Amino acid sequence: MSSHAEASEKFIADAARTDWHDETLWFVRAKRDKASKVLPEWEALREHASQIKDHTLANLGEYLQAFEAKAQANGIQVHWASDAAEHNAIVHGIIASQESKVLVKSKSMLTEECHLNDYLAKKGIEVVDTDLGERIVQFRKEPPSHIVLPAIHLKKEDVGETFHQHLGTPKGNKDPQFLTEAARQHLRGHFLASEVAITGVNFAVAETGEFVVCTNEGNADMGAHLAKIHIACMGIEKIIPKREDLAIFLRLLARSATGQLITTYSSHFHQPREGQQMHIVLLDNGRTRQLADPKYKNSLKCIRCAACFNTCPVYRRSGGHSYHQPVAGPIGSILAPNIDKKANADLPFASTLCGSCSNVCPVKINIHEQLWFWRQDLMAAGLAPASKKIGMQFMAFVLAHPVIYRLGGSLLRRFASLLNNRLNPWYKQREMPVAPKESFQEWYKKR
Amino acid sequence: MVQKTMSARNQILAKMESCEDVKHPGAFLGASEDFDFRASLEVVGARVLTVEELEIEFPGRRRYDKTMDGLSLAEVEVLEIDGEFGVAENGAIWLTEEALPHRVAPFICQHLVINVSKILPHMHAAYAALNKPNGSFGLFLAGPSKTADIEQSLVIGAHGARSLTVVIRT
Repeated sequence: MSSHAEASEKFIADAARTDWHDETLWFVRAKRDKASKVLPEWEALREHASQIKDHTLANLGEYLQAFEAKAQANGIQVHWASDAAEHNAIVHGIIASQESKVLVKSKSMLTEECHLNDYLAKKGIEVVDTDLGERIVQFRKEPPSHIVLPAIHLKKEDVGETFHQHLGTPKGNKDPQFLTEAARQHLRGHFLASEVAITGVNFAVAETGEFVVCTNEGNADMGAHLAKIHIACMGIEKIIPKREDLAIFLRLLARSATGQLITTYSSHFHQPREGQQMHIVLLDNGRTRQLADPKYKNSLKCIRCAACFNTCPVYRRSGGHSYHQPVAGPIGSILAPNIDKKANADLPFASTLCGSCSNVCPVKINIHEQLWFWRQDLMAAGLAPASKKIGMQFMAFVLAHPVIYRLGGSLLRRFASLLNNRLNPWYKQREMPVAPKESFQEWYKKR
Repeated sequence: MVQKTMSARNQILAKMESCEDVKHPGAFLGASEDFDFRASLEVVGARVLTVEELEIEFPGRRRYDKTMDGLSLAEVEVLEIDGEFGVAENGAIWLTEEALPHRVAPFICQHLVINVSKILPHMHAAYAALNKPNGSFGLFLAGPSKTADIEQSLVIGAHGARSLTVVIRT
């Protein structure tokens, strides 16, 4: 697996495409700005949402138990999983008795986190992703590159070619309307035939034991309402205390994500349909570890709107796949090291720390500060890239020795080109200012 | 299996015992009320028709009928149902299972017509109106099914209804 910097280098090799990716996501960010500014109470809503999430995380155990009791009373079966392996085994256990070996799944980053599709494939069960963007990347055997817009890295020509190969659409047809219609017909067949549907969960309400799933396409509902078994998979942090809290989160979610007033469908699953089995799988997978760490705890407030992706200058110009994680972008960069520090040690460095992510976050997560905390922790744990470590140690030495610092300074002012070497990535693709003839100290002494 | 999942539950809950005292902020006050339901419907891609226009446009539409099952609904071209109320800030309409022939009805039909007679200003008022014994399933529906997953081009009619027509009956 290549690091974020290496993968980004490949991504930006196509300059025109990089610009297009950058502009496309900035367009989404601009829509978010417009939608939020219409509401004078926007900042108050963010603050309220943030406080509700803080309160929930402080009482998460109680709320989880309240949710479980209510959901069970409503006829929903509740399962708990400590890690991805347990989660996948539970899901398989539920569906193993079914004859059908194909199931439909709507968007769920949690099942990506658990690599559920691969796991079930090994057991002989095919998962059909039904979100259009997810179906596109599934055909291409790629992971989603964005949690809200899974195929945002692709151009319509790419989608046309993929559909030509997998759905038999005419070669060269790249009309989004036409391609969407082809996917509609193809997936309708799966919806009508499928006995099992898996969905994600946007919010789960402790007060009522219901859960809410938001989509624009209607794919989660098409799957869940036609299947005999509905399995909803959620991280334990998706709990909110009261039903009325949904008003705040639904007002924030779509406006932050795509600039819409609300998603087309916000479905509240309270009880199974008559004759239907409904299951909820509650997953930990490192979330309790994050919860126990005051520095990183509030990353669990995330409602997965991806506003931080769309605003991030690094995400926009490096693409989601460079983050090699199901959740990319700034929020992914603070969530991933908790799951595997070593494998994700590069991600907190994939940022300019400009703070734009924290400014757009609808639940006020201090994302850029946590990126900086992770950098410190990873350095201390000896997991930072070797070049960074050596560079930092060298700089620390130089800065601690004024004589060497002054000597080095005067040398480099004369031979600035020395800095432009392979060990110094700072020079890549940057125009550097000309070094002044004298240092500040020399100048000051003359006065 | 049961044994194992029980232990996962206890393990998870055991890690959450130290509760700090962080208060819930309570109900949200101070929401603006100045929203236009019709304007929001337009934003979410729905059309508003009068009763007379509806008759001309969709003479052969099917009214809500409990005898339809989920799969036969796939054959329905235009379905007419009743919404409980509309929300002015975002054009969403609250639908409950009781007012639907089947949960899948508003998704699986090709075109959807919803009657609305009550309009609330915003989502806070909407949930306040819902604060009574819960139904088994309900949803906020705002406009026709849509996607922008191919190069951010908006396409109406992804998996759900291809169009939404709202009739405001006063």
